[in-house]
Amino acid sequence: MKIKENLDSYLKYVSNWEEKIGSFLEFDISRTKGMSTVEGQLAGIPFGVKDNFAVEGFNITCGSKILEGVSAPYTATSVAKLQAAGAVVVGKTNLDAFGMGSSTDNSAFKITNNPWDTNRVAGGSSGGSAAAVAAGIVPFALGSDTGGSVRQPASFCGVYGLKPTYGVVSRYGLTAYASSLDVVGVVARTVEMTKTVFDTMKGQDIKDNTSVSHPGSRNNGDVKKIAVLKIEDGSLSDDVAKSYLESRKLLEKLGYDIVEIELPSLEYVVPVYYTIATAEASANLARYNGLRYGYRSKNGNDPGEIMQTSRDEGFGDEVKLRILLGTYVLRSGFQDQFYHKAQKIRTAIRNEFDKIFELADLIMMPVFPTAAFKHGSKDLDPFQQKVADRYTCAANLTGLPALAIPSSIENGLPVGVQFTAPAFEEDRLFNIAKVLEKDFPSPLAPGTKNWSII
Amino acid sequence: MKNSKTKAKYQTFIGLEVHIHLITESKVFCGCRNVFGSEPNTNVCPVCMGYPGVLPSLNEEAVKKAYQVAMALNCHLNEKAVFERKNYFYPDMPKNYQISQFEFPFGVDGYFDLELADGSTRKIRIHDVHLEEDAGKMIHEGSQSKLDYNRAGTPLLEIVTEPDLVTGEEAEAFVQQFRQMVRYLGVTDGNMEEGSLRCDANVSINEFGKGLGTKTECKNLNSSRFIKKALEYEIKRHTKVINSGDKIIQETRLWDESSSKTSSMRTKESSNDYRYFPEPDLPPYWPETKFLADIKESLVELPGIRKNRFIDEYGINQQQALFLTSEKSMADFFETVVEGDIEDKSLPGTVASWLSGNVQKILNNSGQGIEESSLSPRRLLSILNMIKKDKISTGIGKKVLGLVFEADKDPEDIVKNMGLDEGPDESEIFRIVSDIVDANPKVAEAIRDGADKQIGFFMGQVMKATSGKANPGKIQKLLREKILTGPEKN
Repeated sequence: MKIKENLDSYLKYVSNWEEKIGSFLEFDISRTKGMSTVEGQLAGIPFGVKDNFAVEGFNITCGSKILEGVSAPYTATSVAKLQAAGAVVVGKTNLDAFGMGSSTDNSAFKITNNPWDTNRVAGGSSGGSAAAVAAGIVPFALGSDTGGSVRQPASFCGVYGLKPTYGVVSRYGLTAYASSLDVVGVVARTVEMTKTVFDTMKGQDIKDNTSVSHPGSRNNGDVKKIAVLKIEDGSLSDDVAKSYLESRKLLEKLGYDIVEIELPSLEYVVPVYYTIATAEASANLARYNGLRYGYRSKNGNDPGEIMQTSRDEGFGDEVKLRILLGTYVLRSGFQDQFYHKAQKIRTAIRNEFDKIFELADLIMMPVFPTAAFKHGSKDLDPFQQKVADRYTCAANLTGLPALAIPSSIENGLPVGVQFTAPAFEEDRLFNIAKVLEKDFPSPLAPGTKNWSII
Repeated sequence: MKNSKTKAKYQTFIGLEVHIHLITESKVFCGCRNVFGSEPNTNVCPVCMGYPGVLPSLNEEAVKKAYQVAMALNCHLNEKAVFERKNYFYPDMPKNYQISQFEFPFGVDGYFDLELADGSTRKIRIHDVHLEEDAGKMIHEGSQSKLDYNRAGTPLLEIVTEPDLVTGEEAEAFVQQFRQMVRYLGVTDGNMEEGSLRCDANVSINEFGKGLGTKTECKNLNSSRFIKKALEYEIKRHTKVINSGDKIIQETRLWDESSSKTSSMRTKESSNDYRYFPEPDLPPYWPETKFLADIKESLVELPGIRKNRFIDEYGINQQQALFLTSEKSMADFFETVVEGDIEDKSLPGTVASWLSGNVQKILNNSGQGIEESSLSPRRLLSILNMIKKDKISTGIGKKVLGLVFEADKDPEDIVKNMGLDEGPDESEIFRIVSDIVDANPKVAEAIRDGADKQIGFFMGQVMKATSGKANPGKIQKLLREKILTGPEKN
């Protein structure tokens, strides 16, 4: 249904669903006036942007009190490219503060609920983006994926979640959590939309020296042989295990050449991820000190004290935990034991993946061991949530592209499956996703519908 | 100043950390202008202010200049240079980490040939040359602290020496000669007052043969003279402490010029753990062979080498050569003038003495550098040519020089317009006088017979023939000589 012709009912729909799920921190369709005239592949398509991206005209809070009320003085390259193709930013979506979390419960501002069950989380950290797309408010939204932050919520909400090859989409304007792991990701309702958004954003950017131009697929994105990760009993919830097995059967039925593999290095993914990510985060988040912008504490007599109290009062617990951990692993005298060792293991993990790709076009593995869990720590406490990142973090440590695809509904909740490809082989991911989409398209949560052009 | 007792008992080790501000169009990681003296917080953008989401983008111009210095210091150039984050909190540092280089800087293991007071040279080893970003400035005004981020993100090159200097005097000489070199390279203006060249000094003493002692670091050394004074103070202090049986505490000390003393700023225990790690926003820098070859090719002749060449090639003395090569602009000026008339073998000497004398005197008074003054090599050569051809006297030449500086006009025009031109020289006037007298034998005869007034006739004729340029007194003198000698007898 086109928003343009039904603006009032769209706005009513949005406010109804927002009341239930709270996916946006800022939503303002009025700002789109005069902006929907741009011709382009995405002309008039509304989208949400995770609130750790800079978009001029909107705030950039990163879900943290320390950046409350800060407005972005510039626009991220990825967002600007989409705007140039005609897409229109309608708002900023909720997130775990600075992208740190798997539930979006670590936002300083509001809770985001899963459109399939409002007692459950939408996942995280890009939970707002995934919930907004799943609720039909926008056909796609941008997220950031440092350790699975796009793929896990996409999977929890029954939509597509792409984590591109590291460096293919400019990070300029995406607030850094862990610079060597962060990528700009896409949450979308369809494979076609995911691909279009990705193709629009990709490319080298002089403002991001780690960005690269995309060389294209080496084999036209052809997929014949798929390596399927062997899962130890008890690693997945029953629902997810069942869905995973069905995905494998479906691939076999569709005629793909299946080979079962093991990835022993997955064992190290979580500790290595948390060592590197927190080390980088401890430096990346040092700039928030209340002096130039953002929250400034009233307690403190000199600039040094004000920095301390502002950070103490402005950051949430999860962020403080990670800053402390990162500071610890970088201490002089301990770098070899932690940070440098983690980097070596990181290389070993990448080598293991490369080996698999010598014999297969893609690797299939789960996204997350469970479907969407309940708010609070009832289902999974924060530590268990971190341990559960093993399947998603691998793609960030290796820099490889990965896509979460809706695979089934189990007990009323969507479950997804993940494919990982060699570097720059996003097309293989889109190809397999299109095939599977025919069998099982992104499911509509009860009471939702899809809105399209502004 | 040297304490003979110290010299006998202890060995001194001085190492310097010199920071130079590189001259570039824009800052090292963003497009903001890199200039000194703008209104506070006007040369800033989201990148150098450390806004959420920004990334550094490396300025190639700064990289080139860093390599120039590393090459001029005979450094080994790392195959791969890596930027790292140096983490510490300070209000004037927008990101609360500084992008710098640590394990793999652009250049390592170099040396600098220091010219000592006795004319000999000694190699001072260079530990490394690395590129980093500067911080902003915090200004305290009463109960307020104000922050100016214009300087934040401007390119800073740090040069670290090994502890090879042994006296405050040597350290001062090093900074002066190093400053001259980097100004020659054109990578910095080297202005210590504006902070374009800053220096921290590490010093320790120990009994001979026992290696380095416990060091202290001196900061706030805003001139090369302060470096000498602070180090001499510290060496004395170390000696006194050690002689009394106490130990030196490793610490950072601030030089206070007004009291001519250093005082403790922070001890090692309270110093930061910088938690260096590779900057993930900047990939390692792999300089291409051609890129480095082009920089090497473009390196200018350094002052010491140029000085020796001046002595050999132009036959000028050590003193003059030293003066001429002290600034690249002066040396370039000298060579341009000399090249203007390569036939004239006495020209280099003349130019050298004019530049070191008359010209420098005027420049000293105006505080200008020669390159910004209105004297061009062509203008100086023109003055010297007029003197050489007796068109003007040396005295008039000096006057014309002064007027060139004042009026920014060509010397020929000044001479012409102000009538400083002496017209035809004496032999020329004599030739004209002879011709006219010989052509009018009867008038000459009449004058010899006493009709002295008739000389006016000749005066008029000669003046006309020389377009009024000839000196009347000179004409009359020559006329009388000619008339008195009578007609040619042959």
